[in-house]
Amino acid sequence: MKTKKRQTPYLFLLPGIIFLSVWLIYPMLKTLQISFYDWNFIDASKNVFIGIQNYARTFHDEIFLLSVRNTLLYSVVTVSGQLLLGFATAIIIDQIRFGKIFFRTVYYLPVVTSWVVCSLLFKFLFNSSAAGLINYVLVDILHVVENAVPWLNEPQTAFLALFILGIWKGVGWTMVIFLAALQSIPVELYDAAQMDGANAWQIVTHITIPILAPTIILVTIMLTIGAFQTYIPINLITNGGPVHRTEVILSYMYDQAFTNHNFGYASALSFVMIVIVFIISQFQLKFSDIKSK
Amino acid sequence: MNKREIGFVICLTLFSLILTGCVQAAPEVDAQQEVSKATAEIAEAPATITFWHTYSENSPENDMLVNTLIPIFEESHPDIRVETLIIPWEDFRSKVFTSIAGGVAPDLARVDIIWVPELADMGALVALDENMENFDTYTEQVFPGPLSTNAWNGHYYGLPLDTNTKTWIYNKAMYEKAGITPPATFDEMQEQCEAMKVAYPDGYYFATDGTFAWVTLPWIWSFGGAITDDAITTATGYLNSPETVAAYEALKALYDNGCIAPVIMGSGIDVFTGYAQDSYASLDNGPWTFPIIESQFPDKEISASPFPAGPGGSINVVGGEDVVLFEQSENKEAVMEFMRFLLSEEYQLKMAEVGQIPVLLDAINSEYFQNHPYYGVFLQQLTTSKSRTAHPKWEQMDSILTDAGQYILRGEKTAQEALDEAAAQIDALLQ
Repeated sequence: MKTKKRQTPYLFLLPGIIFLSVWLIYPMLKTLQISFYDWNFIDASKNVFIGIQNYARTFHDEIFLLSVRNTLLYSVVTVSGQLLLGFATAIIIDQIRFGKIFFRTVYYLPVVTSWVVCSLLFKFLFNSSAAGLINYVLVDILHVVENAVPWLNEPQTAFLALFILGIWKGVGWTMVIFLAALQSIPVELYDAAQMDGANAWQIVTHITIPILAPTIILVTIMLTIGAFQTYIPINLITNGGPVHRTEVILSYMYDQAFTNHNFGYASALSFVMIVIVFIISQFQLKFSDIKSK
Repeated sequence: MNKREIGFVICLTLFSLILTGCVQAAPEVDAQQEVSKATAEIAEAPATITFWHTYSENSPENDMLVNTLIPIFEESHPDIRVETLIIPWEDFRSKVFTSIAGGVAPDLARVDIIWVPELADMGALVALDENMENFDTYTEQVFPGPLSTNAWNGHYYGLPLDTNTKTWIYNKAMYEKAGITPPATFDEMQEQCEAMKVAYPDGYYFATDGTFAWVTLPWIWSFGGAITDDAITTATGYLNSPETVAAYEALKALYDNGCIAPVIMGSGIDVFTGYAQDSYASLDNGPWTFPIIESQFPDKEISASPFPAGPGGSINVVGGEDVVLFEQSENKEAVMEFMRFLLSEEYQLKMAEVGQIPVLLDAINSEYFQNHPYYGVFLQQLTTSKSRTAHPKWEQMDSILTDAGQYILRGEKTAQEALDEAAAQIDALLQ
C-alpha cells in the first residue's frame, strides 16, 4: 500500500518524462555524441570519431570567438536596456491614474508580435538606401545628415538597429513582470517612508529595489538566456554581415550545421554555448546571493 | 532526489532512448518491405514519382512544366504519374539534405549544376552511366560542357537539363545619353564610368548583387586568374596569383570611384529595378533578365552584348541545372523513363520558349534558336564560359570567396592579403 502511494506521482509524471526524454534528453545526448565525430548525416559508416578536436577548434576559430563577443555584447546591452526601461515604465505606469491599461497594452504589444514580423519591419526601417524610412526622415525631413546612412552595412550601425529592436521588443515583458511585483509591496512601507520625509528617489532605491531584488535577478537571468538565443533578428536583418561582424553564436552554429554540413562542429558549438550560459547563470546567482545577504 | 528516484529517472531515460531507437529503426524495415511491395504493384497501379525543382510558383517555366509537358508525358505513359514540388532555390540544398537524412528524398530533382558533386559524394545519387540503358546516346546528343557538370569520380550522376551563362546587359538609353557603346575590354570601364557620371550624376555604371563567386568569377577568369589548379588540389598560387589580384583590384577601383552600385554590398535597389528605372547602366546577368524585366516594366528596352574581355579573354560562368536520380527512389525505372522525356527535343524546345536554353545540340540548331531575338549573344558567350569548381565543398569555398570580396571592397584588407588568406582557407578544405 505504502509503495503504491509512492509510485502514483511518478505515474502522473510519466507522460511528461517520456515527452521530455524523446524531444529533449535524447536529442541532447545524441548531439553530445555527434560533437565528438566528424559526422556524416547521410552515411553513418563515414562517421569518424575525432575526440575533442571539434572542441579544440572552437578556440582557434576567429569567427566563433567574434560571435561569442557579439553575443555577450548583445546580451549586456539589450538586457540592461530592457531592465532599466522596463523598470522605469513599470514604476511610471504603476503611479499614473488614467490610461494604465492603455499604456500597459501599448508597451506589451511588441512582445506578442512575432520576431519575424518585427525583424522585417526593422530591416525596412533601417534600409541602407535613401529609400529607407529612417534615412528618409534623417536626410529629407530633419536634414541632420547629408547622405543616407548605410545602417546595415557597417557593424556599429547594424548593431544599433539590432539593439534597438532587442530592447523595444522586450521592454513590455520586463514591465509586466515588474508591475506584478510592485503590487506585492505593502503600501504601509511607502506611507512610513513619506512620513519620515523620504523623496521619490530614496523611496525607489531604499524600498522598491531591495524588495524587488529577487524579481530583478530572475528577470536578468531569463533575459540573458533569451539574449543568448537570439537568432531570428540576426538571420533576417543582417545575416551575420557585413563579413560576420554581427554574427552571434546561434547564427554561426546554424551556418556550420545547415550550410556547411559540419554537424560535428556545430554540435560542439552548441555545447560550448551551454557551458557559457551555465557559467553566466551561476555567476548571476552567486552575485545575487551575496547581494541579498 | 533520493537514490531510488534517481534510479527511476535513469530507467525512464534509458527506456525512452530505447523507444526512440525503435521508432527510428522501424521505417527501414518498412521501407524494405515497401520496395518489394512497390515492385510487385508496379504493373497494376501507376507509379508516382516526385520531382523537385526551383521554378517559382507563378513562373512561365512552372506553368509550361505542370500544365503542358507533364500531361504530355503522362498521356504517353499511363503507368507513371509525376508530382512536382516547388522548393525555393535558397532553401533547396538544406531541404534536399534533410530529406535524404530522413529517408524521404524525392525520386528526382532539377538541381543547380554545382550541387551535383556534393550530392554524388555523399552517395545520394544513382550513377546513371552504370544504370541507365542507352546512356551513351545522351552523351553524344548534348553539349559537352553541361554534361561534364554531372561527372564525379569517374561516373556520371545526372543529365544536363538546361544551361545558361551571363553577358553584359546594358541600358541603351543611358549609354546613348553618355555617348558610349558597350565596353569591349575592362580598360575602357573607368573612362566610360566618368562619362556616365556626367550624364547621370545619381546613376551607376555597373550593378551586381554581391561578392560571391557567381559575380566575381567572370572578372577573375577574364583577367587570367583562377580559384584552384585544374585538378582542384590547391588554391595557393591561383587564387592569390597576380592575375586574380588584378581582377579584384579592378573591381575595387571601380567601386571606390562610385562606378559600382552599393547593391554589391547588399544595400539599395535590386539590379533589375535599378536597370529599368535608369539608375544602373550595366548588369552582368543571364537570359532570365529579359522575362523578369519585361513582366514588371514592359516598356523597358533590354540590350545584351558579350562580357568585356581582359588579358584572359571574355569568360563568364556557366550556369544551369542537371536532373538527378536519387538512390532512395523506389521507382528508378519510371524516373529514368521520365528523364528520357526531359532530354527529348519536344521538352527542350518547349522549355526554350520560356527562357531555358536547351542542352541538345539539335535544338540549338533549330529555326527557333537561329531566329531568336536575344539568345544569340548568350550562345556565343557560352562558347567561352567556364564552369565553377566541381567539388563537394564548393559552397564553403564560395562563402570564403564572398568574405574575401567583402574585405577587399570594404578596404579592410588589400586584395593580396585577403586572397592569400582565402587561398589558405580553401587549401585546408581541399586536404
